[in-house]
Amino acid sequence: MPLDLNTLPTRRDEAWKWTDVRAVAKEDRGGLSAAGLPKFTLPDGVSISEASDGASQTDTPMASLARSISGAVWTVTVPEGFNAKDPLVIEGLSRGHIRIHLVLGKGASLSVIEHHAGDASSFVNLDMVIDLSEGASIERAIIHDDPESCLRVATTHITAWAGAKINQYALSFGGDLSRLETRVAVMGKEVEAVLNGAYLLGAKRHVDMTSYIDLAVPHCTIRQAVKGVVKDKARGVFQGKFHVRRPAQNTDAEMRHDALMLSDTAEIRSKPELEIYADDVACAHGNTIGQLDESALFYMRQRGIPVAQARALLTEAFVADVFDDMSDEPLQESVLGKIREWLGA
Amino acid sequence: MLKINNLSAAVDDGQKQILSGLSLEVPAGEVHAIMGPNGAGKSTLSYVLTGRDGYEVTGGDVSLNGKDLLEMDPEERAAAGVFLSFQYPLEIPGVPTMTFLKTALNAQRKARGEEEMKAPEFLKKSRALAAELKMKPEMLKRPLNVGFSGGEKKRMEIFQMMMLEPNFIVMDETDSGLDVDALRIVADGVNKLRSPERGMLIITHYQRLLDYIVPDAVHVLAGGKIAASGDADFAKKLEAEGYDAYAA
Repeated sequence: MPLDLNTLPTRRDEAWKWTDVRAVAKEDRGGLSAAGLPKFTLPDGVSISEASDGASQTDTPMASLARSISGAVWTVTVPEGFNAKDPLVIEGLSRGHIRIHLVLGKGASLSVIEHHAGDASSFVNLDMVIDLSEGASIERAIIHDDPESCLRVATTHITAWAGAKINQYALSFGGDLSRLETRVAVMGKEVEAVLNGAYLLGAKRHVDMTSYIDLAVPHCTIRQAVKGVVKDKARGVFQGKFHVRRPAQNTDAEMRHDALMLSDTAEIRSKPELEIYADDVACAHGNTIGQLDESALFYMRQRGIPVAQARALLTEAFVADVFDDMSDEPLQESVLGKIREWLGA
Repeated sequence: MLKINNLSAAVDDGQKQILSGLSLEVPAGEVHAIMGPNGAGKSTLSYVLTGRDGYEVTGGDVSLNGKDLLEMDPEERAAAGVFLSFQYPLEIPGVPTMTFLKTALNAQRKARGEEEMKAPEFLKKSRALAAELKMKPEMLKRPLNVGFSGGEKKRMEIFQMMMLEPNFIVMDETDSGLDVDALRIVADGVNKLRSPERGMLIITHYQRLLDYIVPDAVHVLAGGKIAASGDADFAKKLEAEGYDAYAA
């Protein structure tokens, strides 16, 4: 059955006010009403299965679309205590509705590399669920490099039990319209999460980095730093929310979004939010939008560095630090390489 | 070498005239000092010579070895050999000092059609110079000037100058923020760079620096132009008598 376009979120939905999916979702987009076919490269010791029915843990409008159209769920399981040596690589996220479920047993650890690269003019709706059992640890690298005509919504729902660790690094170059959303339900004590990201957008590209962290237990630590660079007529959106419930005492949470506007026709929309009901917490957020420092640029030029190169160096320095703590060095180098390539273009 | 002829310049979108008809010539091999009261336009002169945005030249011309400097972008002037030691050196977060300097050196070389300096040669030269300037080697690994004290930043300016080997040097209030020991190290570095092919313009409010870097000529900048000139002893007289006699 073809997808009813009117079921898609529009700017009338508060959470989608800056990312109007309905407005850009035309009938002829490839994959609009079809299941997608992801490709997995599995590390040794990690298993995968495809089931036509999975736990329906997600309840967003995009998730229910994925459920009704894709049908099957790809479930990747890392057994208890298993430390996967090689990363799980997910590719083929190029069109259609896709459901993925990652299950990490107690104390298991996994590194995931996701390549979000779409087909021209396609529609991609990824609904991913990650369950982290007690003491499990995941490092996620998200590389989002779509053609300028691609529409993508990628939503990840993470449930983290006691002592779980999340290290997430997202790099996005946007698309026609794209949203990378991360929702974390912190269910056990002493969860530690790093949720960093960067977006670099040119032309009329759009990306929306949205996150919602729901903290319901004490002693958890969240660090979020998102950096943005926009030029031409691009549009960057950051929406971040920490919801610190009453029992979540001693939460230590920091949210930062800093963006550079390299042209005054580009746009940044930002909504950092803290909603706090616990009384003994350390929570902070910061949000800045600025330009490159003209004095620093002049200083570099005075030393002989051509202006374009000076701008690229300063911009790279601005963005790169969100990837400082990636544990996989070759992957980190490839992320920085992509940033340099964008800056040099 | 450097010829400034009847130079006028303004800031604030041309609203505020700072330099009005300044003429000055620094022959190759000479060191000239520019002294003067605060607000006389000393720093403006350094920015006009290096091409900073916001400093509008409203008249006159400036040439270095016969080449029109005012027609060039800041990076072209740098490649032509103009170096400014900043009064307040900038911090460049995220860019390691060595990366910055190697990029600058090789960009200049490329602009002049010369071969790039390879990493081993660059490292060898920078280590030797750092030792000479009594700089800690770890300073070179840190992002440029970030977290450096005022004195360390000034020393870093001299380090860059010695690495880049420019042929015309402008030093803007280099002595500010330096204690006597650091001043001596900095002055030794500058004196080593004196050569028959190189010119220098030392902008300073106080005579102190000129005890260590003895100039060939001293000029008073007041009212936007050179109000008086003399030899090295003239600086001592200015220090004793002040600038009141030259007030605009």
